Amino acid sequence: MTFDWTAAWDALPQLLDGLVVALWATVLGYVLALVLGLAFALLRRTERAWLRLPVGFVVEFIRSTPLLVQLFFLFFVLPAVGIELSPLATGAIGLGVHYATYTSEVYRAGIDGVPAGQWEAAKSLSLSRGRTWTRVVLPQAVPRVVPALGNYAIAMFKDTPQLTVVTVAEVLSVVKAVGAQNFRYLELITVAGVLYLAAALLIAWPVRALERRYRKETA
Amino acid sequence: MSPHHLPRRRFLLAAGGLGAALVTGCGTVDLSAERDGGNLLDRLRTVGEVRIGFANEAPYGYVDREGRLTGEAPEVAKEVFRRLGVPGFVPALSDFGSLIPGLRAGLFDVIAAGMFITPARCAQIIFSDPDYNAPEAILVRAGDTTRIRSLDDFARDDRLKLGVLLGAVEADVAAGYGVPANRTLTFSTQAGGIDGVLAGRADGLLLTAISLRHALSTRQGAPLELTEPFVPVLDGVEQYGAGGFGFRPDQTRLRDAFNAELAVLKRSGRLLEIVRPFGFTEAEMTDLTAARLCADPAA
Repeated sequence: MTFDWTAAWDALPQLLDGLVVALWATVLGYVLALVLGLAFALLRRTERAWLRLPVGFVVEFIRSTPLLVQLFFLFFVLPAVGIELSPLATGAIGLGVHYATYTSEVYRAGIDGVPAGQWEAAKSLSLSRGRTWTRVVLPQAVPRVVPALGNYAIAMFKDTPQLTVVTVAEVLSVVKAVGAQNFRYLELITVAGVLYLAAALLIAWPVRALERRYRKETA
Repeated sequence: MSPHHLPRRRFLLAAGGLGAALVTGCGTVDLSAERDGGNLLDRLRTVGEVRIGFANEAPYGYVDREGRLTGEAPEVAKEVFRRLGVPGFVPALSDFGSLIPGLRAGLFDVIAAGMFITPARCAQIIFSDPDYNAPEAILVRAGDTTRIRSLDDFARDDRLKLGVLLGAVEADVAAGYGVPANRTLTFSTQAGGIDGVLAGRADGLLLTAISLRHALSTRQGAPLELTEPFVPVLDGVEQYGAGGFGFRPDQTRLRDAFNAELAVLKRSGRLLEIVRPFGFTEAEMTDLTAARLCADPAA
């Protein structure tokens, strides 16, 4: 089997289209995962059991079932109750909610890592609950978990091929569709692999930069 | 450098040279060196077995509940090879997309997956004459057959969404009929496409009437219907979905022997008898040839 450079080159525009779709799903999903994950983490610490227990159940339920099943459910079952999201929205929400359950655990680790003395100091200064969280605890909790959060951006990006079940035309669906026409799987998979690698490195880079910045600040 | 290095290399060179000499000196080792692919048929007869590549797609070629390879294409292939004096067979399961690379790599001797004969595929492998011709149909929700009759309805009505399968020829057919890409949904599996129609994700699923008929038979009671089967026409050229058996490019002799026996089956009506249990009808029988289907309509 020879490597056909023209086949690889010809497929590149379509693969890049697929990459853009995958990146969109990742970006939207990641923002959702960051925000929703923090909400999950905070709600699981509340003293109100009627809030804490159901949220805990939902998080554990989502965290312990496969993403593929969740995507399938969002796409094929929700329309039955009148909720019909576009394929890309389904993908972004599916990824975002799934990864929010992971990031909520990361946030929890960060919050638990804030020394008890900080809480006590805030209390003795009679700071309100809101101020304690936003000015004392979270500014110390979040920077130390930035690397772990960054990992999930890359993991999420690499989970985008699963979106093919909800008809999102991401990179691997393009490979299958084009490959079925020209049978140049070697070239297509190679180019797709290079694209994934480049994009993943590109995602890792700002996370690194952010991490360096926070390290300087906290030092 | 170790003192053993040079002698060992020399030994390997000598062994390699000897091996190369043996291979070139003994013609039966190298398949491609022989004209018309050598006599693969003779070898199959000696072994008594043919390796059949299939993609586990009912009703074309699949493993049934008892774990036996069956389906339209394998049953026809078994019958033809029996007549050619090869009584046994070895099933070789493969991804549909990997059938052609697998055949070329020598993982099996024939593709029996009801594979459509297309010019692009003919550039990779050679085909027998088609044993069936599959008109397309659209799967719609029950009651929609009055509203949706053909692909033109999908091109006209911008509220309708059409489902196709990933990597299947139907995507091109839909585009050719003017169904815009943003109203074409690409499902990764046939089951997903059918669920998509049931859930209202898509208003129709374009596939061969055979596949859809079979899918309906496995989902008794589902509120789904089929439109009238039709042969798609693109740029004035009828797009036959005619399936045949694939062989390695150098196996013309085996392919010709296969064709001869297949023609006998067609003439006697035995072919229809074999494939009828899989949902094939008189309408699917064809006299098209592989040569005609391989000819690029653009050329």
